[in-house]
Amino acid sequence: MTLQGWVPEIGEFLTLAEVIDLAFDYRGNTTVVKVDGTEIEGYVFNRNREASEPVIEMFDAAGTGPIRIPYSEIRNIKFTGRDMAAGNSWQAWLERKEREEAEKAARLETGPA
Amino acid sequence: MSVPLSQMWTVAAYVLKQKLSGRERYPLVLMLEPLFRCNLTCAGCGKIQYPAQILKKHLTLEQCLKAVDECGAPVVSIPGGEPLMYPQIGGLVDALVERKKYVYLCTNALLLKEKLEQGVLEPSKYVSLSIHMDGLREEHDEAVCRDGVYDRAVEAIKEALRRGFRVTTNTTLFDGASPLRMREFFDEMMGLGVEGMMLSPGYGYSKAPDQEHFLRRGRTHDLFSKMLSDARKHWKFNQSPLFLQFLMGKRDYECTPWGNPTFNLFGWQRPCYLLQEGYAESFQELMETTRWESYGRKSGNEKCQDCMVHCGYEATAVDDTFSSWKGFRDTLVATITGKL
Repeated sequence: MTLQGWVPEIGEFLTLAEVIDLAFDYRGNTTVVKVDGTEIEGYVFNRNREASEPVIEMFDAAGTGPIRIPYSEIRNIKFTGRDMAAGNSWQAWLERKEREEAEKAARLETGPA
Repeated sequence: MSVPLSQMWTVAAYVLKQKLSGRERYPLVLMLEPLFRCNLTCAGCGKIQYPAQILKKHLTLEQCLKAVDECGAPVVSIPGGEPLMYPQIGGLVDALVERKKYVYLCTNALLLKEKLEQGVLEPSKYVSLSIHMDGLREEHDEAVCRDGVYDRAVEAIKEALRRGFRVTTNTTLFDGASPLRMREFFDEMMGLGVEGMMLSPGYGYSKAPDQEHFLRRGRTHDLFSKMLSDARKHWKFNQSPLFLQFLMGKRDYECTPWGNPTFNLFGWQRPCYLLQEGYAESFQELMETTRWESYGRKSGNEKCQDCMVHCGYEATAVDDTFSSWKGFRDTLVATITGKL
């Protein structure tokens, strides 16, 4: 299950603070849509909801930062980047090993060419 | 146990000083992650899943040393990512040695031989090359999802030992590990001539590729009891014997997440090396504003229920050694006899 590609609809059932928490947990780039209509794409690595003025911190897509954006300036966050934790390197490894074993067994069965 | 006397003495003096000064929470080992980039993608690792611009970044040497000085812990562990990919690793280690910090450079060893040949690192009593080895060849290569890594690590260990380095191993264990195979592995590592081995169960990272093999508490006790009961005389462990007894289910400890604070690209990680619940700008802010009561088994936090990882509990074990005569005696007996 990944949030990759999700554009949240903030409203009665989903608050901005909840979306920010999900973005903070997301291991990919997101696009922060600001109240003034501008957008910043990057990685949200921190959020402080208990500060007198709650803020997020992010590195933009070029790695510049940290950029601090108050919650009050955010309209929404879109999950636009690839979810780097949704990879399956271990699964791929297992599949490759199984394939190799099967090939080895098949070679043994058919004997030397 | 195999921790050198000078290191034991430094840690003992530091812990006693903290206790005498009435400091309730103190750091023991700084986990300094200069980068998240790695040349492996291990099945049980949840540390490196970041977008490219984050993986390309690393801390400056100045940021690293500022964190070391702020924290004040006598031991600095350098994990990552793969620390040998950090361009200033030589300078960092030198600066830590200058500060008389005991350093554990935690590496998968793929680049080690090359770095040793380049003279990037110098042997020192303060520096231990802590080589990631999750078992014998078959198990290790499977854990790191690449064939041939075990053999390269063994080759690098031999080269490091030949050059006079302190070499230890660090092993993370997952469900399905065979106690018998692990005992063979201990023999194998001691046969290579490493100074000591470090063991820990893996943490159930929600971001790790393999979500099926994290150990639960009962299985951890079972595995470690089978592996370490009747420990062979020549096995040396570079960690607190009380922590190993905890893993075997012989002791019950509570987590001390502040014992191994973590600093990386994002700042001081709350609350520990494993959980990422936010970042503080300074070490002081981390210590003073983290809600420590929300973590550890007693807190009821579900993320902590099965965790028995060294970075949460080894500091507890070391603190126990210096908190009572019994703790001190038990440590001494296990250290001298090697019995766990």
